[in-house]
Amino acid sequence: MSPVPTAAHDSDDVRAAAAGDRQAFQRLYVLHVSRVYGTLHRLAGYDHARAEDLTQDAFIRAWQKLPGFRHESAFGTWLYRLAVNVALMDIRARSADPVRVIDEEHLPEFGETPFCAAEREELEQAIGQLPPRARAVLVLHDIEGWRHEDIGDELGMAVGTSKAQLHRARGLLRKALGERS
Amino acid sequence: MNEFEWRRHLRALRQPRTPGRDLWPAIEAALDDTVVARESATSTATAIRVRPPGRQRWLLRASLAASLVLACGVGWHMLRAPTDKTYTAATSTWKPADPRLAGAAIELDAARIELELAIQQAPDSAALQRLLHRTERQQTQLRHLADQSPAAS
Repeated sequence: MSPVPTAAHDSDDVRAAAAGDRQAFQRLYVLHVSRVYGTLHRLAGYDHARAEDLTQDAFIRAWQKLPGFRHESAFGTWLYRLAVNVALMDIRARSADPVRVIDEEHLPEFGETPFCAAEREELEQAIGQLPPRARAVLVLHDIEGWRHEDIGDELGMAVGTSKAQLHRARGLLRKALGERS
Repeated sequence: MNEFEWRRHLRALRQPRTPGRDLWPAIEAALDDTVVARESATSTATAIRVRPPGRQRWLLRASLAASLVLACGVGWHMLRAPTDKTYTAATSTWKPADPRLAGAAIELDAARIELELAIQQAPDSAALQRLLHRTERQQTQLRHLADQSPAAS
């Protein structure tokens, strides 16, 4: 998986923020919020309000956990993993809610629109319609570049289940975009 | 579309995105509520590091004094216990008749003495005062128990 790009000079701000310096933490926020929000926006199915809530939660949790940050990885990588974890916890919590889960039959058809001609927004809309766990696997694997082993660890599922979810998600996505897979 | 094109389209979605509104004010407001959670998440060493120097000093002194008194007390007890049967009477002002409660009385009395010594080192310590009050309450409870004990009658 690819880490969040991080400034080479943010380590001073990380140390200051860990010691309670809010201005340093705000600088870290400004530096990393776009990447964090972008990832959470995708995992939240392109739901702006939810992505904003998750982003806030991620930064608040980062503030809480910063004193324990060991500098074994880049701060951006650490923050990125923490943010993804916040989103996955949200997905796990919501997966018990049957209203949020959409079956294959309820996916909207987009007619015969070929995938290559699909607009970016159309693709994002189709991803947003996927069931939460399938969407999480697709986003993490096909967009974020995670391995199935890591996805399985984070989502609490076997590697085979992660692969099956990805296969399902791709099929649903192609169907939603009107392409026969 | 082949697999390569599929991946290319999806990877193209991996881009930073700016939130529609500034999230910092809400985050900053929430940071006030997270001070306690943050301190609990911090290791003990870090927690001590962020305390004001004065508080850190008296805590260190009090804990050092308490440890010293405890070590001296244990050592003295180990040396004297086999030969000096009056140790309990010398250190404790009260000894219940029930032998099952006598041990607890000795422990509580020793704890009270240690706490009083520690408070001499750190008279402003609310935590030590609370511990002393609790110990005294336990001594009172023990007296009640001793009064109700069959050995007392």
